[in-house]
Amino acid sequence: MSIKVHIHATHRRYTNGQETVAVEGKTIGECLNHLIQQFPGMEKAIFTKKDKLHNVVEVYLNHASAHPNELVKPVKDGDEIHLIVMLSGG
Amino acid sequence: MLTPDELKRYDRQIMIEEIGPKGQERLKKARVAIAGAGGLGSPAALYLTAAGIGTLRLIDHDLVSLSNLNRQILHGEKDIGEKKIDSARKKLKSLNRMVEIEAIDETITEANISRLMEGCDAIVDAMDNLPTRYVLNRCAIEKKIPFFHGAVRGFEGRAMTILPGKSACLRCLYRGPVAEEKFPVIGVTPAVIGSIQTTEVIKYLLGIGQLLTNRLLMYDGLEAIFTEFTVNRNPDCEHCGMLAD
Repeated sequence: MSIKVHIHATHRRYTNGQETVAVEGKTIGECLNHLIQQFPGMEKAIFTKKDKLHNVVEVYLNHASAHPNELVKPVKDGDEIHLIVMLSGG
Repeated sequence: MLTPDELKRYDRQIMIEEIGPKGQERLKKARVAIAGAGGLGSPAALYLTAAGIGTLRLIDHDLVSLSNLNRQILHGEKDIGEKKIDSARKKLKSLNRMVEIEAIDETITEANISRLMEGCDAIVDAMDNLPTRYVLNRCAIEKKIPFFHGAVRGFEGRAMTILPGKSACLRCLYRGPVAEEKFPVIGVTPAVIGSIQTTEVIKYLLGIGQLLTNRLLMYDGLEAIFTEFTVNRNPDCEHCGMLAD
């Protein structure tokens, strides 16, 4: 079982420049925990505290918004998760 | 009715099958509000003016500064220190004297937003901060005015179109307050996103094409790719949750 996580450009410094990371898990939350196991620097990039995403981090599952309650959403083999950073400039 | 001058000026776009003279007349009758005369507001105002929108209501409280000029192409060096709306009005009038420019020198707040948006057919989000975007979003929902969102940072941008009560609004994605920042940006990014917002406004006014409703379009200028994400209405959204489909 493999799920692909797309890493936002501003977070790639924590993944050795990798644009995507293969993870495993039954939910988005488990997948993100597996991502952090591989790249510990991602924890502070996406979480403020355990199970609380930064307000600027958006999660999309198979190109659809996973908001709200992103972390408990189930995933299956072949799914893709995008981690996006909200923009506010104009 | 279009004048001979207008028929000549807009000839190339009237030639577009989806526009034609009737579409041009619809543009002429429209009043569009642009909230902000900065990076996104510049291309939006310039292209809506060039396209022959009847009335453009431009709202900004700021003065032109040197650090604006890498992206805010409504303004030039000689405008530094001047009110952005005055600088913008001159530029827009020199581009198309037939467009009515309603230049408003005010800071957008919850107290004045209803008055500022009164009578508008569309609202372009050209702000530089999220709190004011939410003020605009709520007003658009309450007045049922289509709202054209855009935001940028660096080489990255996003756009989404909101039809109140029919598609996801900006607040549907709300996850909590976000700290304001001095954001990095290069002018070509708001040029792309502001132009997409403007295209959406024109399509909406003419009733043509497929709008970016329930579709968040992300632009990555560095990779030169567009990515689209589906966004659905949040039934618990504090802005639009109470509106029926």
